[in-house]
Amino acid sequence: MADKIDIKNVAKLASIKLNQEEEDRLKNDLSMIIEHFDALSKMDLPDDKISIHPLGMSLNLAEDIASKSLTHKEALSNAPESKDGQFVVPPSLD
Amino acid sequence: MNIIPTIGMETHVELKTNSKMFCRCHVLDTESPNESLCPTCLGLPGSLPVPNKKAIEFITLLALSTNCSITNDGMFHRKNYFYPDLPKNYQISQFDLPVGTEGSLEIVVDGEFGTVEIERVHMEEDTGKSTHIGSGRIDSATSTHLDFNRAGIPLVEVVTKPLIKSSKEAVAYIEELRQLVIDLDISEGKLEKGNLRFDANISVAHEGDKELGTKVEIKNMNSLKSLEKAIEYEISRQTKMLIAEENIIQETRHWDEKKEVTSSMRSKEGSADYRYFSDPDIPNMILSNDFVNEIKKIIPELPSQKRKMFIETGLSIEDANNLGKNKNWIGDLYRSITKITGDSKSSFNWVTGELQGQLRKLEIKDLPNWVTPKNLSEIILLVKEDKISFTSGKEILANLIEQEIVPEEFASENNLIQENNIEEISKIVEEVIENNSEVLERIANGEEKLIGFLVGQIIKISKGQVNPSVAKELLLKEISS
Repeated sequence: MADKIDIKNVAKLASIKLNQEEEDRLKNDLSMIIEHFDALSKMDLPDDKISIHPLGMSLNLAEDIASKSLTHKEALSNAPESKDGQFVVPPSLD
Repeated sequence: MNIIPTIGMETHVELKTNSKMFCRCHVLDTESPNESLCPTCLGLPGSLPVPNKKAIEFITLLALSTNCSITNDGMFHRKNYFYPDLPKNYQISQFDLPVGTEGSLEIVVDGEFGTVEIERVHMEEDTGKSTHIGSGRIDSATSTHLDFNRAGIPLVEVVTKPLIKSSKEAVAYIEELRQLVIDLDISEGKLEKGNLRFDANISVAHEGDKELGTKVEIKNMNSLKSLEKAIEYEISRQTKMLIAEENIIQETRHWDEKKEVTSSMRSKEGSADYRYFSDPDIPNMILSNDFVNEIKKIIPELPSQKRKMFIETGLSIEDANNLGKNKNWIGDLYRSITKITGDSKSSFNWVTGELQGQLRKLEIKDLPNWVTPKNLSEIILLVKEDKISFTSGKEILANLIEQEIVPEEFASENNLIQENNIEEISKIVEEVIENNSEVLERIANGEEKLIGFLVGQIIKISKGQVNPSVAKELLLKEISS
């Protein structure tokens, strides 16, 4: 399964740089995830009891109290490109 | 064969909360970009969204006030897309289990009641603002600049059923929805600030056709006027195409405010393109009956209820609707005044016309505390009973806004009480006729507008104390005899 994963391409799509050790580790992790899904799809399950939500827990709501988070500088620090305080990305339609 | 347009409206209402929908960043009203961001609204790995309790209360208020059924077991979905206006690459929204479904809203069109059917009311997050840099046209931009301050602000989407039949109905619906969110105190409701943004889905079909025509979505309408014009334009464009048997394509079109036309933006995604799936980070949103009952208790007087009450005082549907669009204290003042004067129409005209006009001119936002229903009613009744002229009434009102006065006393002290004694007025009429024989001759020769001149003379001699309509009546009687 691990052979089928082009980890370099996955890293490129995710915009992350990986060294050889990280590539090997993540390739192994990804193949385990794919094998898991393969196992799931082979299971014979009845159609009538579909869990609509993965979390079987109740929802906590947060009070509407605002708090300070990142500074402007921190917020932009991971951006590959920025200008006039804004994130800059290739042209796109919205 | 008649061609029938069908319109559905999608409206986004920005909620008035302190913090964002899924994180606790401040909701900021600032021009300065990217000032209110955290790992959650920036979509950084490891961050978790937690829904805002206030926003859930607000959407429940809106869903209940639009007569929707509440989904007790609701859920959030991810709507995936490739525009960069949300850094996560998806928008947290609701899909098949929205907060409210199957509602309705009463509207007023041309002085008559109508109903708009609501399909759904759902909760989502707002997107960031994109600015396209380059030649000015979106499709030839060289880069896109992003400000995420708005990304994550709670947004309610209200979707109507495609049952609206005209641009007028669509405008009346938006006006009603706007008034509703203002009265519920859940949104600023300002169109010019983008608190309320709407798209229109329009199709045309031959009368009697079983299926609706191909739906075209119109975006970028920033005012009620542009909404009306854009719908009119689009209905006419599609009607011409239908008559010419041309193929209408399903697409999103952009309203060009300057050219007053719609132009093609992109072909429309179907919901499958958004690859909706339940957001695994947010558990099911259970709105218990207890919670819903608590919200029911805090629903204020709704626009439709205010309208009903105003109509019961004797106002027309149109006047009642217009009165309801004012601040609450205007409606309350009208209610108190009309109880004293017993004259709904005059009370309405004085409150919404003269009083508001003078306050606006003086840039006064709140009524001075000495201006009361009692002394305002006194002015209205003095005019109604012909004791003072309408002009004097306005003068007294202007003085009342400035300082505490008793209207009737002010009228006497300033010689504004009209002479209604017929004998006294007749004497003045006779005097004017004697001194203006030349003018009378010209009137006899057809220059009827000179009657106004003579009435003016009568008022002048009486120092403004003669009721003009009584003066005119006596003058005409005198001339014709």
